[in-house]
Amino acid sequence: MSVLTKISNLDRRIIFLAVALAVTIPLLLPIGFPVDMSEPVQKVYDLIETLQPGSVVLMSIDYDPSGAPELYPATLSVMRQCFARNLRVFVIGMWATGVPLGQRALNTVAVDEYHKEYGKDFVNFGFRPGGAVMLVNLGRNIYDVCRQDVYGTPVEDLPMMKDVRSSKDIAFAITFSMGDPGSDQWIWYYHARYRGNLATAQTAIGAPKYYQYLQTGQLVGLIGGMKGAAEYERLVNVPGLATVGMDSQSIAHMLIIGFIVLGNLLYWREKRNK
Amino acid sequence: MTTGIWPWIAAALTLAIYSFLYKDNPFYKVAEYIFVGLSAGYWASYMWWNYAKPNLFNPLFWPEAGASPNYWNIIPLFLGVLMFTQLFRQTSWMVRFPLTFVLGVALGLQIIAAIEGDIIPQLGGTFAPFLKSNFVALSVWEAIGSIVILAGVITSLTYFYFSFEHRGAFGTSAKIGVYFLMISFGASFGYTVMARISLLIGRLHFLLADWLHVIK
Repeated sequence: MSVLTKISNLDRRIIFLAVALAVTIPLLLPIGFPVDMSEPVQKVYDLIETLQPGSVVLMSIDYDPSGAPELYPATLSVMRQCFARNLRVFVIGMWATGVPLGQRALNTVAVDEYHKEYGKDFVNFGFRPGGAVMLVNLGRNIYDVCRQDVYGTPVEDLPMMKDVRSSKDIAFAITFSMGDPGSDQWIWYYHARYRGNLATAQTAIGAPKYYQYLQTGQLVGLIGGMKGAAEYERLVNVPGLATVGMDSQSIAHMLIIGFIVLGNLLYWREKRNK
Repeated sequence: MTTGIWPWIAAALTLAIYSFLYKDNPFYKVAEYIFVGLSAGYWASYMWWNYAKPNLFNPLFWPEAGASPNYWNIIPLFLGVLMFTQLFRQTSWMVRFPLTFVLGVALGLQIIAAIEGDIIPQLGGTFAPFLKSNFVALSVWEAIGSIVILAGVITSLTYFYFSFEHRGAFGTSAKIGVYFLMISFGASFGYTVMARISLLIGRLHFLLADWLHVIK
């Protein structure tokens, strides 16, 4: 049996092992591949830089723990930029399982790193069910949708919310989204009615779809997958999981490209021999 | 290595799931059944506490102090009960009533979303760069990009137009459209690989950092 025949009959578990090693070794021994900036990510950063201190940024945590490797680093980085610029952050979520992730990000960034005051500098309304219908109401009257925060405090008792009543009071909204409800609902139901500055951080699997909304101006920017999150970590100068993970991404992608090329060459060879 | 019980449970379940890559085994089955059971319980609880209780049952049966029951909620309650009629062959036809209602509402929402959120802005975005005042303001690369997008939209649409036979100029356009579609699928596949590798990175980072503490 020739080497090429052996390769074409390779046990797929060898491929699994190779991918596992390609991901694990760079995590243990980081290489530090450069992370190039892309325009859609830069635009999100630039827009936040233009906001006046005290402006309100709405962050919607629309993912669950399975989306966290890609979206949690982006959440942390955007929060860091917002609090560094003294913007006020208003957190909601359309995924119930995203609430603890949003809370953890606020504890890490707002409380531990920037010593911000809850209720004055940031609020967390947690899970808001209803998807599209909730967003339509949110844009019209925030008090209708967010009657109590995650701690049960009535919205009227939160100082930050005194002048935050509708979409007009939100300078910038960003959804960290991994599916439905998520970016689609924000674009179709919120932005289509209320306009304003909207961006999305999207898991890689859904990211290609949202490039079309950049050209039309429906989105001001897009943070796509772990690569986008790594770019944002570079912009705020705080490397995290996304930066570390990009070494593994690069090696694993090279390996997979190699497998694809090899597989096709073997396929053509078999076809020719027949 | 961590001392808390939860990282150990999470690590054990992660390894049990990944053990399927070697071959099917009892550890994988146990992890799979736990996941299915937890998911079913979680979503039942989720629907009750976030939708049924606050929106349907509370206003009808347990209104706030001083408020009168909202009897309009009898209608969605009745439609909801009809959903269960499909469990019995003799009554299954009645499920059409609530389904009709659900379809109507979904259709209404989707039509607005499609027109306001997609069709009009996307058509505008495709053609707006070719207005004279816009086109002269574009850089060379932006102009080329706009032309490529327009060509991609038209040729891809011709591929999905089946009222004419795909021959001659129309056939050539459809063929070019296929290439645009293939490039789009390739980009999506590349992103999909990145997403799946990201999941693996997330789990391995958890094992190495949070469980074993061999990396930060």
